[in-house]
Amino acid sequence: MSEQPQSSDRWSSEIDTLVTRCVAELAASPTEIALREAYARYGGQKGAVKRAVQAAITAAPKERKREVGQVGNAALQQIDGAFESRKRVLADEARGRDLARTVDVTLPGRAPRAGHLHPLTHTRREIERIFAQLGFSLATGPQVETDFHNFEALAMPKDHPARDMQDTFYVAGAKDVLLRTHTSPVQIRTMLAQRPPVRVICPGPVYRRDDDPTHSPMFHQVEGLVVDEQVTFGDLKGTLLHFVRAFFGPATGIRLRPSFFPFTEPSAEVDLSCVFCALQPKTRSPDAGCRTCKGTGWLEVGGAGMVDPEVFRHVDYDSERYTGFAFGFGIDRMAMLKYRISDIRLLYEGDQRLLEQFQ
Amino acid sequence: MKISTSWLRELLATDATDGEIAARLTAAGLEVEGEEQVGAGLSGVIVAEVRDRRKHPKADKLTLVDVWDGREVTQVVCGAPNVPAPGGLGPGAQRGAQSAASNKVAWARPGATLLSGITMAAKEVRGVLSPGMLCAEDELGLGESHEGILILDADATPGADVGALLGLPDRILELNVTPNRPDCMGHLGVAREVAALCPGARLLPVPRALDPVRGEAIAPPAVAIEDREGCPRYTANVLAGVTVGQSPLKVRLLLGRLGVRAINDVVDATNLALMLTGQPLHAFDLDKLRGPAIVVRRPRAGERIVTLDGQDRALAVDDVVICDAERPVALAGVMGGLDTEVTATTTRILLESAAFDPARIRRTARRVGLHSEASQRFERGVDPNAGVTLASDACARWIAQWTGAKVALPSLVDCYPRPIAPRELALRPARTERVTGMALPAAEQARILRALGIEVREEGALLRCSVPTFRPDLTREIDLVEEIARVHGYDEVPATLPRSTMAPVPPDRAGLAAESVRDALAALGLAETVSFAFVAPERIAALGYSDGRAAPLRLENPLREEQSVMRTSLVPGLLAALARNQSRGVWDVRLFELGTVFLPSENMLPCERLVAAGVIAGRRDGWLKPGEELDYFDAKGVVEGLLARRRVAATSFRAPRAGEAPWLHPGLAAVVSVGGAEAGVVGEVHPELRDRFGVEGRAFAFELSLAAIEAAEPPALVELPRFPGSARDLSFFVDAAVPAADLGAAMAAASPLIESVRVLEDYREPGKVPAGRKGMLFALGFRSRERTLTDDEVNAAHSTVIEALRTCFQIEQR
Repeated sequence: MSEQPQSSDRWSSEIDTLVTRCVAELAASPTEIALREAYARYGGQKGAVKRAVQAAITAAPKERKREVGQVGNAALQQIDGAFESRKRVLADEARGRDLARTVDVTLPGRAPRAGHLHPLTHTRREIERIFAQLGFSLATGPQVETDFHNFEALAMPKDHPARDMQDTFYVAGAKDVLLRTHTSPVQIRTMLAQRPPVRVICPGPVYRRDDDPTHSPMFHQVEGLVVDEQVTFGDLKGTLLHFVRAFFGPATGIRLRPSFFPFTEPSAEVDLSCVFCALQPKTRSPDAGCRTCKGTGWLEVGGAGMVDPEVFRHVDYDSERYTGFAFGFGIDRMAMLKYRISDIRLLYEGDQRLLEQFQ
Repeated sequence: MKISTSWLRELLATDATDGEIAARLTAAGLEVEGEEQVGAGLSGVIVAEVRDRRKHPKADKLTLVDVWDGREVTQVVCGAPNVPAPGGLGPGAQRGAQSAASNKVAWARPGATLLSGITMAAKEVRGVLSPGMLCAEDELGLGESHEGILILDADATPGADVGALLGLPDRILELNVTPNRPDCMGHLGVAREVAALCPGARLLPVPRALDPVRGEAIAPPAVAIEDREGCPRYTANVLAGVTVGQSPLKVRLLLGRLGVRAINDVVDATNLALMLTGQPLHAFDLDKLRGPAIVVRRPRAGERIVTLDGQDRALAVDDVVICDAERPVALAGVMGGLDTEVTATTTRILLESAAFDPARIRRTARRVGLHSEASQRFERGVDPNAGVTLASDACARWIAQWTGAKVALPSLVDCYPRPIAPRELALRPARTERVTGMALPAAEQARILRALGIEVREEGALLRCSVPTFRPDLTREIDLVEEIARVHGYDEVPATLPRSTMAPVPPDRAGLAAESVRDALAALGLAETVSFAFVAPERIAALGYSDGRAAPLRLENPLREEQSVMRTSLVPGLLAALARNQSRGVWDVRLFELGTVFLPSENMLPCERLVAAGVIAGRRDGWLKPGEELDYFDAKGVVEGLLARRRVAATSFRAPRAGEAPWLHPGLAAVVSVGGAEAGVVGEVHPELRDRFGVEGRAFAFELSLAAIEAAEPPALVELPRFPGSARDLSFFVDAAVPAADLGAAMAAASPLIESVRVLEDYREPGKVPAGRKGMLFALGFRSRERTLTDDEVNAAHSTVIEALRTCFQIEQR
């Protein structure tokens, strides 16, 4: 080595010094940014070590360039190694800090605001879904109706005592225009518009002059109508039974009680086994103290019957060839029973706290 | 209709218990809505005759009474002030049957049980031994009265059981009689029904003919029916020698249980006959009838009548009036006249039993607002045949028995110009199965019909039925089918499902649209509410519209003024709900409603339109700190979100013109257009309107017509870009009045390479922005679908955009 020229010894020790200083700076870099800056100062394209190696190679005689290059490369590799190892250390430290983070996991989540559908909408959709499975389609009609569609065509001419059963709102200044008292006029409109077979349900708001905890002057009804060549009262019973079991559960029962509606014959009141007490799995018997069914085990929920031939006459259906059944019940009442709502007026107050209970 | 089961049992023979009878009636369509037990548990109380009375030696208010039970005399201590005098002929006593003159009392001997469950024993009262006590009404369960002891009828036999004498125990059934069953508005009809429903039960024959009571012959008044349509039949019974007094205790108590106030024996007899047969009767004081004559006719112009309640009433041409030779004396079927009323001095009576046209009586009752026991029955239709005569007979018999009156001969004046015959119907027994799905042999069907009082003749495959006139509801074959199904029992009907011959039905598009709007608004964080469709007229007026929306449909007979017009907008309902929430301490409110509004139209019926509306108030959701207050853009965001979910094309928002959104703040409102057509409005609720509704703080609302936001078909997929895009920001000042939407539209149109334009900032801070101008910052996206854009291409496009803005809006770049 003593034959080596002075100048070559000089570049060698100069590189060594730079490498030593660089390695120390790299090892002392507190952050990855500082590390990269330090690396750039020595090892980068314009770094001090890189430049020193380039200069030494340039200055070296041709036969020694290779040797100088090898020494330079070794120096650069040493820097790279020091950089990588410091980088790993810093990354490990950063990962450690990341993993050391904690939060109070019991704080509330940051949820997007959820909206709510009205219990009447939930109930109506459920009813529609069940009847859709039985092949019923939906029919709607006006809420402000003619006396003809609401009463006359349903075998309730003027002065018919049955009109007392449905106290009616009339529109001022218009003859024979009223707020429909049931959705039956939709049945009439449906039958006037199409020939049998018919299988529809008619949901919607109806109006009666009543106002107390169980009656609201506006409420919602769903009526069903089936007309075909071999429809029987037994089919009515089976259809209603299917519905209440699908809606309230398979243990639910119904009872049909003779009654009177001008537009059906035979007619029936529809009683539902009390959803509050009669379904108690242990007893299967009504609770004498049940306030909802008053200990009878039954709740009156609707009316039904075979379409009266008089109604068929109004819509020009042949009552010898076709028979049909119709039924109606309150959507509000179903919702109240399902969700245990005791006062019908709560449904119409728009109280955000009540509405938010229904997803 | 209240039914006494103890009276029913006098009319029919049956083994059925009261409970079974009630259950069968309910199951057959005569719903028992309530029951009341009277006098149950009462035993051992007997009739006793007062033989002597004297003061208790040690107490002024107590009396020692000697009572006779038919065998011996016993001394009982009594605290009541009304112990009758021995012999019973107190002051004013005139007639044997009257309790006022009676010395018969109810004695609960030791061993007797009272209603309270107390068993009587001999007991010392102030030093005198009293074997049991004399009973007051309440102790026998007959009423509330404890003012004195009960005085029994003078003809009661000492030693007889008081319970049996008074028809106790009794169970009163509250029947809900449907309007088609006039026959069940009396005990006889209900008894007939029970006889048909309960196996083995049998109707007992009712004494038809009036026991011949001898009397002097009185020339019967002339009866004429001029209004034959209004009155098919009119009968008059005449009674003479009446002394009006009190009816027997048993009758008074029975009427009381049936909810009828006892008045005097004549009136009580008519009421009892009504309760028996369902046929209303009316008693006139014959001596006050001019003529004497009865004419049934329509009122003449200007005629009036003072009715029993003292009201002077004008008569309408459609009424049926009973007149004497000169004037109306009763409003037929509704109420009698005051002038011819039976009073304490009446001695001769004309007893009316008639049939009237149900529709006419109904109209009159409604017009004068009188719904009496009588009118209720005439409205449903009485039996013009046996019903009319049976009631008259029974009533005359009672009056004769109780008052000592004699029935004039000939007993009944009957004006029945066109007798109504039983209705003849034919029933095909197979039809019953066809309608009900329940197979019943023809013989069984015939048996059921006969049990209901219908005559049935079998004629080949037909049942020929003769329906008595007390069942006016049975007019067609189907009515007989119902009777058979009803009596046989709906429980016996098999539950089946209808077989379907229906073709599949296409889905209901309008219905689906409404449902998806509901879902969208709920997804946007609003809660659905439902309001009444009728509102207060001033709340509609407060919206300030000047078109059809300001002229809502009025109700003729609203429950209250606040619910008297049909809504033309959902906004009043929503604002009312908002105010209600605020009054309950709920301040963050987000409500929507989807419902019908009613707009005036040329047609008979109004135009009903589906509308979606919402109101929001309060703060945005904050996290661990209060959120910011809501503003216009929260409401607009809901509308945009809804429109996006409806996939409606070409939506735009613009400031409203005068009158377009009068209920919104003039500077914070927009008209929403879809495809060029107006769909509704959105904005801040006008402060005036907030005050009107009692809403506190700012509120924001929208209302959209559902028809205008009809959803488009789902679009075809837009292919994802294959080449990278470039972004540039653009910041400039522009005239503050230029809408951001116009700037955005100009930028989008300036270069085909523009992919997106987004507003990042709108700032107007004085000092930093020149007066009258605003600073805008937009983020522009550039992209080509064919290749990667070079920097030069993007820069050129960006310059084009700036140039376009400079030309159109004189922007200054920053």
